[in-house]
Amino acid sequence: MTRYIKISFTLIIMLLISNLVKAQTTSKEGELKLHLNYQYGIPLGDFKNDMISNGSARGYSGSLMYQISPKWAAGISAGYQSFLQKYPRAVYETGDHEATSAVLTNSVEITPLMATGLFTPLAENGKILQPYISAGFGVNMLSFRQYLGEFGGADNKATLIAQGGAGLQITFGKAKESGFSIGANYQYVPYQRNGYGNMNNLGLQAGLYFPLK
Amino acid sequence: MKNKFWFVPGLFSSLLFVTGCSKDPLQNLTPEESRIYTTSYDSSANFQDYKTFSIADSVAVIDNGVVVKQHSASDEAYLNAMQNMMEQRGYLLVDKNQSPDIAIAVNRVYNTTTGFFDYGDYWDYYGGYWDPYYWGYGGYGYNVPFVFGVYQITEGLYSIDMFDLKNATTNQEINLLWNGLVRGEGVFNVSTATEAVNALFAQSPYLNTTH
Repeated sequence: MTRYIKISFTLIIMLLISNLVKAQTTSKEGELKLHLNYQYGIPLGDFKNDMISNGSARGYSGSLMYQISPKWAAGISAGYQSFLQKYPRAVYETGDHEATSAVLTNSVEITPLMATGLFTPLAENGKILQPYISAGFGVNMLSFRQYLGEFGGADNKATLIAQGGAGLQITFGKAKESGFSIGANYQYVPYQRNGYGNMNNLGLQAGLYFPLK
Repeated sequence: MKNKFWFVPGLFSSLLFVTGCSKDPLQNLTPEESRIYTTSYDSSANFQDYKTFSIADSVAVIDNGVVVKQHSASDEAYLNAMQNMMEQRGYLLVDKNQSPDIAIAVNRVYNTTTGFFDYGDYWDYYGGYWDPYYWGYGGYGYNVPFVFGVYQITEGLYSIDMFDLKNATTNQEINLLWNGLVRGEGVFNVSTATEAVNALFAQSPYLNTTH
């Protein structure tokens, strides 16, 4: 364990030192970059309290971003995040003077397509560590399936979706045009039906970005 | 500029294939977890007023509109489980000729088509098979006021009914007092019967009487 702590500490120090070194180039205007992220989703608010409390490692996203300036990029992003939770058997009131004992399973799939903006305020200093903020707005194909035992149904619909995020880009290569990124996205997913509310969630992301040409 | 990261999309796609695939919500359900037990009852009935019951000696099998009378091992298990639970709740088993307060009928229902189950078909055939004459009330009709769940049926179910014979003469009809549905995987297994009937009674605490 001590060995891993030492290695991690050394890597962090190396990153910090290297971040003091000026790079020769950064993102260029007109550049097209692909961002690919793996995502861990965490339900929030009503979504967590009423529907699914477990986080989910079944998520990913990708963005195609056009570099408007060294600091600003705009593009489109798409993603997928699924949530699933099975609750132990309980008795539910399913009608007037009707009760049903069942194992309840909730399944939610969020598939957004958004217009996205990305701002890296320190891009022009050419350092390795680049903080960023992002925002997106678009449509979401939402699939909510609920089962009592093996019996149930689905509510599939298109909803609006809004997203705000922040994180850190770790550039690599001489040109500093590519890198790793880590960050978090808050997604606002409006939903109102059968007593269930918005499916807002937090996505923890890690991925890569690189120019396409 | 030559793309040095041509391998990344493939790598990422592989990662997504392994980690990002959607889980089938029903894939990890055990047969026990797949089953649901639904009960409904006449809220105007006071089950304390009923003291005796009789139970049909076989099961009506309604298979896509065709009704036959059977007595399989699982039918026997359900009939026995119902008798045991009624007795545990204080009701006294009597012969159907001894004017029981409650009549109990167990039905095995099959629907081999997908889609919503047509309960109308079920009740249409019901009166024809369990003729009220069987309970000693010939000429009366069944009154079934409840509308049950709307879940999709893909296999079959056990439906257990309790009818009000105590007030049949006054009401001039045999009213449904209580219904229990057992649905899901393995409902026709002998080993499921006791567990299923226990579950139905566990969620029906109003089903009890004292002598």
